[in-house]
Amino acid sequence: MATTVTRISVQDLCEKEGLASSTVTQIVQYEIAEPVAGTSVRDWVFDTTGSHWIKKALRLQRDLELEWLAVALLVDLLRERESLMRENRQLRRRLGRLEG
Amino acid sequence: MEFKDYYHILGVAPDAETSTIKDAYRRMARKYHPDLNPGKESEEKFKEVAEAWEVLKDKRRRGEYDELRRYGGQHRQQFEPPPGWRAATAEEFQNIGGDFSEFFRSFFGHDFDIGSRESWNFADARGQDIEIKMPVFLEETVRENRKLVNYVIPAFGQGEVRNIKKALNVTIPAGVTHGERIRVKGQGAPGVGDGLPGDLYLHINLVPHPLFDVEGHNLVVTVPVAPWELALGTKVLVPTLEGKISLTIPPGSKAGQRLRARGKGLVGKTGKGDLFAVLKVCMPPSDSEEVKAIWKSLAEKAAFDPRAGWGRS
Repeated sequence: MATTVTRISVQDLCEKEGLASSTVTQIVQYEIAEPVAGTSVRDWVFDTTGSHWIKKALRLQRDLELEWLAVALLVDLLRERESLMRENRQLRRRLGRLEG
Repeated sequence: MEFKDYYHILGVAPDAETSTIKDAYRRMARKYHPDLNPGKESEEKFKEVAEAWEVLKDKRRRGEYDELRRYGGQHRQQFEPPPGWRAATAEEFQNIGGDFSEFFRSFFGHDFDIGSRESWNFADARGQDIEIKMPVFLEETVRENRKLVNYVIPAFGQGEVRNIKKALNVTIPAGVTHGERIRVKGQGAPGVGDGLPGDLYLHINLVPHPLFDVEGHNLVVTVPVAPWELALGTKVLVPTLEGKISLTIPPGSKAGQRLRARGKGLVGKTGKGDLFAVLKVCMPPSDSEEVKAIWKSLAEKAAFDPRAGWGRS
């Protein structure tokens, strides 16, 4: 049985992605992800959804050569798009139940 | 191996300035970046575009590439390097990883060392993370669940990439939500050399339910009712994820009204959500003379104009 976890420490994240802790600080300052625990950078913990957005932000920053501010705006819009698409699907399903 | 014409891929002339090539790369990256345009097709196209930029942005690498091209390389045609060419060693070839073509790894593999992060997704000693979609039924979110996951991981060895099938039993915690990611440590692609393996990420996808809709941690169920049940009130048995409950519909209820059953929703991090029953009026068939007469009598006695709010035209 494999162990599943829903959290990742900042050390683990930095090691996996080859990140400096200053980059993680920037990411948090731009509200791309928010730690779910920890009061200082050294003991921050992210949930795996937060780490998913951090990885996405890193790829966009590197591949499109963007400033962090632009990455933050882009991630906001992507998150909003994802949430609106989900809401749209749910509302269509509910409408179908009322019409049927 | 197949030759890659990087100028053709980026749609630029072979004598284009680096700034022109950069503009072309950025335009195509905007169009095909997999984080902006999900899908296998754009992912493959982006890999090609990024590889072309990786070579053409560097003056020395571009010079070497131009030499190969002059030697007779044509896009997607079989190609043999000129005699005496310093190709990548088997180890270098393996280290670069699967995001690059065989052509790139063979000719430019010697540029990159293990652990170098000079560029895009490069030879990291650690194995790749794998992300897969994990369908989960609403009933399975009520308590911790064990599920079998089948997936494929890329493994590099002897100059080629092989796909290895894996099957794994994983624990899905209670209360998972749509879009949530769960990490399974060390179950991604194997590392290079002594490198640690990557992780497996399960992207939770709640399967649409035939009866329930999800609103955060609340559930919504549509309850069909007859018009007189709304008018007079009644008790109905309503399904939940853990059996049926009795729900009281008060007299004088309205179509579309939401009735709440506390704590009968999904499991959340801070407790259980609620179940909302939405009342949907279903009309009975009125093909018998007797039923028609009753409707007619009701129409006369109720003196009700449902379009009164429209005003007089």
